[in-house]
Amino acid sequence: MAIAVSEKPSITERLEPYIAIIGPMVMILAILVFMGIVEPARYFRATNLNLILLDAALYMPMAMAMTFVITQRGIDLSIGSIAALSAIIMAFLIKQYGFSVYVAVPIAIALGAVMGLINGLIITRFNVPDLIGTLAMDLVYRGFALVLAKGLVLARFPDFLTDMGRGQIPGFVPIPVLIGLATMIGGYVILKRTYFGRYTVAIGSNPEAAELTGISVNRHKVYAYVLCGACAALAGVMLTGKLNAIQATSAPYFNLHVIAAVVVGGTSLFGGRASIIGSFAGVLLLSMMINALVTLRIEFFWQSVASGVVIISSVALYTWMQKKDRDGSNRFLSGLKTPEGQKMLRFSAALIGVLIALLAVGALFAGDPNPSG
Amino acid sequence: MMAEIPLVQMRNITKKFGGVTALLNVDLDAYAGEVLAIVGDNGAGKSTLIKILTGVYQPSDGQMSLAGKPVAFSNHAEAIEQGIDAVYQTLALADHLDPAANMFLGNELTRKVFGITMLDNKRMREETERVLLERLGVRLKSLDASTESLSGGQRQAVAIARAVYHEGLRVLVMDEPTAALGPQETARTLKLIEAVKAQGLVVILISHSLDDVFQVSDRIHVQRRGQCVGVVKTSNSNVQEVLGMIVGAEEAA
Repeated sequence: MAIAVSEKPSITERLEPYIAIIGPMVMILAILVFMGIVEPARYFRATNLNLILLDAALYMPMAMAMTFVITQRGIDLSIGSIAALSAIIMAFLIKQYGFSVYVAVPIAIALGAVMGLINGLIITRFNVPDLIGTLAMDLVYRGFALVLAKGLVLARFPDFLTDMGRGQIPGFVPIPVLIGLATMIGGYVILKRTYFGRYTVAIGSNPEAAELTGISVNRHKVYAYVLCGACAALAGVMLTGKLNAIQATSAPYFNLHVIAAVVVGGTSLFGGRASIIGSFAGVLLLSMMINALVTLRIEFFWQSVASGVVIISSVALYTWMQKKDRDGSNRFLSGLKTPEGQKMLRFSAALIGVLIALLAVGALFAGDPNPSG
Repeated sequence: MMAEIPLVQMRNITKKFGGVTALLNVDLDAYAGEVLAIVGDNGAGKSTLIKILTGVYQPSDGQMSLAGKPVAFSNHAEAIEQGIDAVYQTLALADHLDPAANMFLGNELTRKVFGITMLDNKRMREETERVLLERLGVRLKSLDASTESLSGGQRQAVAIARAVYHEGLRVLVMDEPTAALGPQETARTLKLIEAVKAQGLVVILISHSLDDVFQVSDRIHVQRRGQCVGVVKTSNSNVQEVLGMIVGAEEAA
């Protein structure tokens, strides 16, 4: 009467859960190999690796929080403005009202959490779709930041803040990297070991089932936005420390950059599939890619082209993988052999080809080692 | 095999939705350790009857009693508390979570780590393995895999395990459990139903498939146009007779 299934899972079946991490890892390797051939001397300098880590650290807290929001089938487009607004308020508190930095930083993070709470309540109470609600609040928060700061650039902050943004433990990694890693590890524990993490996956996977088992879906959605707001504010604080300056127009592309990192790391935009480690790899990948573009002296504006391409290709890839799941053919490789799999492969190959061509063109035309400005 | 007092007793259950009478004076008895099948055409009132039993709907008229004690539920949670639970056709599983997480969804086991409440995934896994094996005779090849990678029968087992894990469970309602399954998975699901029945629970099975009903049920309650047109012992009946009752051929004859 026992319904025992004794067959061993095949290698591809066992690999499948890790594909989320393998994807960005392969791309990271590709960048490493490419840069190893084209610009090894400048890319692999210790100072440059430090730069990459510093850049990645800024995005780690937000990527962690965004993983929860996206897993619940939500999205938060307001993180850039939340970061800017809470950092501006913190800067005013320190510069104008003489607040201690040790008080101002927690206030900034709490303000970010409140802004996240507002996002969450707008989405759950007024039934505004996540995309529209956070897009509109992005405008609102950015507007407040502009109203407060006018055109001012607030600069020169106490050491504590610059330590948070670019401090270095001698002979070890930068302090912001430690902060970023700590949030990532915290996120992993929350995802795997707490009610909130468990219910986040359940809500994204099957909202009706979650509701039926007595989970308060709306409450946990609000929690995710609060977490996202607090982490965005933390990033705003770190950004202020890193630049030792802040203005209302800071952090313009945080939202898409972070969403790209999370999605490329295998967290599904359709909900239920969460990977904190994938988000970590995604953040690293994007920072390495952007740094590679800079190292190759490709114009700054190509960064946004590259981020867009990364978002589209990874979403297309994961959607295709999900479709294969529904078809019931459990093998990754057999999925590749279907006509659609072939189409997908050709598409990815073409994309990668275009990217490499772009990088090569950039490297050719930007050979002049003298800085232009 | 059957006790004298029915565990579940429904008397003169009537349910009206506005001007539409979905159920009219329906009686239902179910005894511990039996599988009672409820069959009937679409709109015969099967689902309404079951939703009243599980507390999702409240009857317009009529009484219910459980083990001789009168009961009335104002919601599904109250019915679960009294030991009546249902496994839905859609199974209500979160596909991306592992079977243990699904089994304990909304009811997680925890432990304290440095004073902070954390989910106890290890214990939930052990419990899931134990309940699946001891109560349903099912062993999954891996408890780490997400639920979506399981077969239809295994998913059913997880959903049933979630219901039977509740110690006080006395009545398990299964709504079209085999509707989306192939022949092999259907056979496995029917075995699960027998395993639940063997533990002295009442299983109430709603099904369109008379093959399944005749394979697994002890008695068959036939609904037609909101009324009970008869209850037959499965061993004394056949598909033709039940089919006739469902479509109303008996009356015409």
